[in-house]
Amino acid sequence: MFDVWKNVLAEIERSIPAMYYKTFFDKTELVSMGDGVATIGTPSPFSKTQLERKYHDIIKKALENNDIKVKSINYIVISSKPKANNRNIVQVIKEKASRPRDTFSVETDFSKTNLNPGYTMDNFVVGSNNDLAVSVAENVINNPGTKYNPFFLYGGPGLGKTHLVQAIGNELLKNNPKIKILYAPMNRFYADFINSIKNKRGDEFSQKFYKLDVLIIDDFQMIIGKEKSQEEFFNIFNELHQRNKQIIVTSDRLPSQIKEVDTRLASRLTWAGAIDLQMPKFEDKCAILKSKAEFEGIEIEDEAIEYIAENVKTNIRDLEGEFKRLLAMSEFRNKSPLELIQDGYISGINKGTRVRAVSPKQVVEKVAKYYQLTPKELCGKSRVSHIKNARQVAMYILSKELQMSTTKIAYEVGVKDHTTVMHGVKKIESDLNLNYGLRDEIEAIREKIYG
Amino acid sequence: MKIETTQEKLTKALNIVSKVAMGARNSLPILNNVLIKVNKKKVSLTTTNLDMAVVDYLPVSNSEDGEITVPARLLAEFVSNLPKGEVIKISSKDTKIKIEAGKYSSVMNGSLSDDFPELPDINEKEAVKFKVSAEEFKIGLNQVIIASSNDLTRPALTGVYFNSDGGKLYVAATDGYRLAEKKLVDKISDEVAVIIPTSSLQEVLRSINEETEEIEVLLDESQARFRLGETEITSKLIDGSFPNYRQLIPKDNTSTVVLNRDELMRVTKLAALFAKEVGGSIVCEAKADERVFSVASIANEFGENDSKIEAEIEKDDKVTLNSRFLIDALNSLSENTVKFGFSGDLSPVVIRNNKKQDYTHIIMPLKG
Repeated sequence: MFDVWKNVLAEIERSIPAMYYKTFFDKTELVSMGDGVATIGTPSPFSKTQLERKYHDIIKKALENNDIKVKSINYIVISSKPKANNRNIVQVIKEKASRPRDTFSVETDFSKTNLNPGYTMDNFVVGSNNDLAVSVAENVINNPGTKYNPFFLYGGPGLGKTHLVQAIGNELLKNNPKIKILYAPMNRFYADFINSIKNKRGDEFSQKFYKLDVLIIDDFQMIIGKEKSQEEFFNIFNELHQRNKQIIVTSDRLPSQIKEVDTRLASRLTWAGAIDLQMPKFEDKCAILKSKAEFEGIEIEDEAIEYIAENVKTNIRDLEGEFKRLLAMSEFRNKSPLELIQDGYISGINKGTRVRAVSPKQVVEKVAKYYQLTPKELCGKSRVSHIKNARQVAMYILSKELQMSTTKIAYEVGVKDHTTVMHGVKKIESDLNLNYGLRDEIEAIREKIYG
Repeated sequence: MKIETTQEKLTKALNIVSKVAMGARNSLPILNNVLIKVNKKKVSLTTTNLDMAVVDYLPVSNSEDGEITVPARLLAEFVSNLPKGEVIKISSKDTKIKIEAGKYSSVMNGSLSDDFPELPDINEKEAVKFKVSAEEFKIGLNQVIIASSNDLTRPALTGVYFNSDGGKLYVAATDGYRLAEKKLVDKISDEVAVIIPTSSLQEVLRSINEETEEIEVLLDESQARFRLGETEITSKLIDGSFPNYRQLIPKDNTSTVVLNRDELMRVTKLAALFAKEVGGSIVCEAKADERVFSVASIANEFGENDSKIEAEIEKDDKVTLNSRFLIDALNSLSENTVKFGFSGDLSPVVIRNNKKQDYTHIIMPLKG
């Protein structure tokens, strides 16, 4: 591509001492041109200042000689990383998820709604574990206060309840910035209520809620043992529900399973059905991590994602936690996530449920090494008997230990097709019955692989 | 240009500024010079290596406006060798300066200030500003700089990461094998995440003297400025991303050991003697039943070492570490009693003071 800045630089290079040119113009670039304003990027504040104060006339003249007419030149320090503006001096934004991706068209006071704008429907990953909940959520967004009112959402910790209900709130707000929404975790509701009674402002408390169009109560199970609050909540619930205001409630279990919850309230909460969020399946977990990686603009091997998905069995929060930890470790150690997993540096996932991941490549390497071959010698079509035998051992281990398909194994060890692999695996299986030496060999290799 | 000051004052000022001008990497000859500038009785000495700049304001008894640059090292060495208490008069004519002190006098060749790089400004209004006591700054930065890297292929690790979290400001540094973090400021309202070159911070630390009470720090998107007394140090920031290190600090340790720092230091140093051949690798083992923490090393050539110390131990555990890193970590701790947290044989070891929790040092284990 033709870069006019190169021509400009060539001209500048001729007019100032070489050492100064190299010191101050190295790594500069023409960032943008338009409306008679040229923006020139420099690598450091020091070179920016020199260009601005000492070389401005020379730069301007060189630009003009290249047929670029500028009224003014803007000098900036460029960085390979995105920068935040205003008073937040942040070189790199890591936690993108906790920041709004779209700026809302109308200014809304989020502090009043208690919603975190970082939770959106866009960044909620849909899978078979939550597609029903998501479709109900969409229904609520499009027709609040109608079919799914109240929307009762339940499921274990870290499965995305808070994310989903806050996303509903944020979407409703986007559709109608004037809508009055309040998001309140149950314990906050309770604390506010107690305060209002203390200050003898009980009426004001309920009035605040009566004005709402949408009430979102998170962690409803916290109501246990708080009778007065329950009564108050029941009143607010009835009032809002009668006026077709949308109510959204989350809990870690069904209301009927929460002790001390009034049966009338329990049945009313699940009037419109109770929707649950389930633990994602392996494929869902992979999808969640992949979308997270994409969102953060991070490259990560599929095997690494699969390893985490396979090994984290608790919930999505832990899944994401483990994922973040792996990425942090990868940056820290300057190794790819998969390399770290293979080195065993990511351990202790969910305390003890770890299964050591072994890549096919490692197996081939270990087997080759055991038989004093290079992996290259082992793979391929050599018919020399000891090499062929080693190759079959590798196939056998790949098949038994890694449960790989015969086609994949064929690719891995470089043989013609899956029938060769099937033959090889069978050969070792039958040999094992007779040959104790071979049995010891395979056991030793196994130890090498996992040791 | 004319100035009149004492030998002590000028020596002190030149000491602070001249190191930056002596760098071997300076690409332009003029960077070896110090800029002496008098503007309306305000006298400043300035040096820069284009990564950072140091300005020191010199108290003078008499002055006349003007500016000139002269070789920093020559001037600093000349002045420091003059007798103490002498009044020094410096005057410039064209590109030469004349230095007079009683019966000593000398003329130095300098150069015009036009070629001296201009220093970047920092927008005071928009910059993030905070103040730290010089004492805390010195202790805190020294505690983390020890873990910073000088591997130029990973530039982000050659600096100290100033970052805010939950309204507090932390400094952290790592070389990819160990990491140190310290809470520097209890309350900060702005969000901060910048990497400041370790070399610049060392210059700041060097400029702290017994009269320095407080350090004011200003940060914008591309530079950091430190103000301490008469000295002002401006540094570029490192353009890069620092590892998301909070994820790396194990939240629960599998076993925690409480022990005496000096004893642990002694046995680690003993073990390190035998560990030279194996890259300083030592094995730390805790035995809960015997209430014994042992540090062992094996060097085939010299023999082996196994020393034990008494400790409060939660659970049996064992980890292989680089002895040099453990010694560095222990050197950075201030209390007599320290906590040593295991988190499995391949997860980082966490080392903290027993009481104060504002400093965290983690070390990656070696593969045993």
